[in-house]
Amino acid sequence: MEKIEFFDANVFIGRPHNGMFGAVNNSEGLLEEMDKQGISRAIVWHIFQYEGSPVEGNRILAEEISKSDRFYGCWTILPPQTQEIITEDFFKQMKENKIVCLNVFPDWHRFVMDAVTFGDFFQQISERNIPLFLTMGRSCISWDSLYRLMRDFPRLTCVLCDIGIWGVDRYTWPLLEKFENFYLESSQLSLEEGGVEATVKRFGSERIIFGTGFPVRYPKASILQLVHADISQQDKINIASKNLERILKKEKL
Amino acid sequence: MNSLWEKFLENGRVKECPVYDMHAHMGSFNRIYLPFGDFNPEITKSRLERAGIKMLIFCSHWTLFSPDIGNRANIEVVRQLPDKLRAYCGLNPNYPEIIEKDVEDFEKYRDVFVGFKLLSDYHQKPVSHENYSPAWKYADKKGLIVLLHTWGGSQFDGPEQVRIVAEKYPGAKILMGHSCHGAWDETIQLMKDFPNVYAELCAVVDDRGGLEQIMDACGSKQIVFGTDWPWFNHHYYIGAVIDSGISDQDAHNIFHRNAEKLLEGLI
Ligand SMILES: [Zn+2]
Repeated sequence: MEKIEFFDANVFIGRPHNGMFGAVNNSEGLLEEMDKQGISRAIVWHIFQYEGSPVEGNRILAEEISKSDRFYGCWTILPPQTQEIITEDFFKQMKENKIVCLNVFPDWHRFVMDAVTFGDFFQQISERNIPLFLTMGRSCISWDSLYRLMRDFPRLTCVLCDIGIWGVDRYTWPLLEKFENFYLESSQLSLEEGGVEATVKRFGSERIIFGTGFPVRYPKASILQLVHADISQQDKINIASKNLERILKKEKL
Repeated sequence: MNSLWEKFLENGRVKECPVYDMHAHMGSFNRIYLPFGDFNPEITKSRLERAGIKMLIFCSHWTLFSPDIGNRANIEVVRQLPDKLRAYCGLNPNYPEIIEKDVEDFEKYRDVFVGFKLLSDYHQKPVSHENYSPAWKYADKKGLIVLLHTWGGSQFDGPEQVRIVAEKYPGAKILMGHSCHGAWDETIQLMKDFPNVYAELCAVVDDRGGLEQIMDACGSKQIVFGTDWPWFNHHYYIGAVIDSGISDQDAHNIFHRNAEKLLEGLI
């Protein structure tokens, strides 16, 4: 039987300004944690991208992830109009810095994430299959604005992270049903009793992407849930790494 | 490294480390879709066995949210799966006459109940409210378990309220469901001040740090495992508890030994 390899889609480095238990401040610390947990690769972002400066945070992240080929990066975007981050050679810079996806915190970084602000850009990332990672944590977006985003950009590859403590199937299943490039990150879907099984049964295992939520959450929690979920071994492999690999292979930077 | 981790990872359950879930529910619920909300004895049994849950102690959502259904929902469910399930007799302080009747009838259902469940944040009356007192007095006298929903900062079931009932009813075994979530310093002080007060881990291990802080201050002898099942997944919570870095002995205390002592004479 093929072994389950874990590719973690939801990790940050850097210590939050108000402190956080067990947060690691550099890539060495994260590698140590990944080795301890048996996680082979990770998509990483830096908490400073959110809490401090997206511009400087993106730069620090690129520097940190250059230290190991087990890391890929996730940069934070801001409205193209201010040209703080999205400049003419943005995609080239992504490629040069091993950045494979983008995240965005519209409510916290104070802009409106819709077609007015991001029309052309979101068209481009839809065509290039660049995944946009959204979080239901950290005052990122509301369900209403997420629904509006997917309506406006139905081909957008979107990975919804940190979906919430309370099960959110009533919110997410309509999105999974209507938009084929819409995915769920697993660190809180695993928390829901039967959440992974029910989602796989309804939509197949291709729509879930493994994540630990480290350092906020315990990696062994989502690992143990997935390993013993009542789904096939192939489903587990898809969720643990194959789905994310497939998404990244389709990407045109 | 905790030696139980490899065993749970390999088999999903560990024979020499059975798990008691001391905080669970039952039944479908208005504000959330629960894939395993509907009770079915075979399905429930197989879900519990997957994670080596030896016994699950619950109070039905329907009891807690409908005085018209009341504790019938608990009694009917336990009696369909008695080797795996026990219940807390649910108390709603907005209907004191039902509480009085349930306490009066308690002995009739000793095969079902191990104690009482209070959900004061939702019922909007403090845990020390006089409407609960027949049940508190009974639990105090009989050494029953009382599971409280507790949350840091709550006027109904925050640490100050827990202190009042812990002082008044030293014979009751009080489980702080969610361990006064977020108010870890006060939780620790309560555990130190009262040997009859226990931290329960549901929602505590959603984030890292809380369990570590409680363990550092109090050790594992006053901590019990709980999940709000069928809200949350047993393997997820077992993995989280082990990932907090506890020793094998502490894991045995949290997963089963403390619960076994609490349940002695009650099951
Ligand atoms: Zn509960």
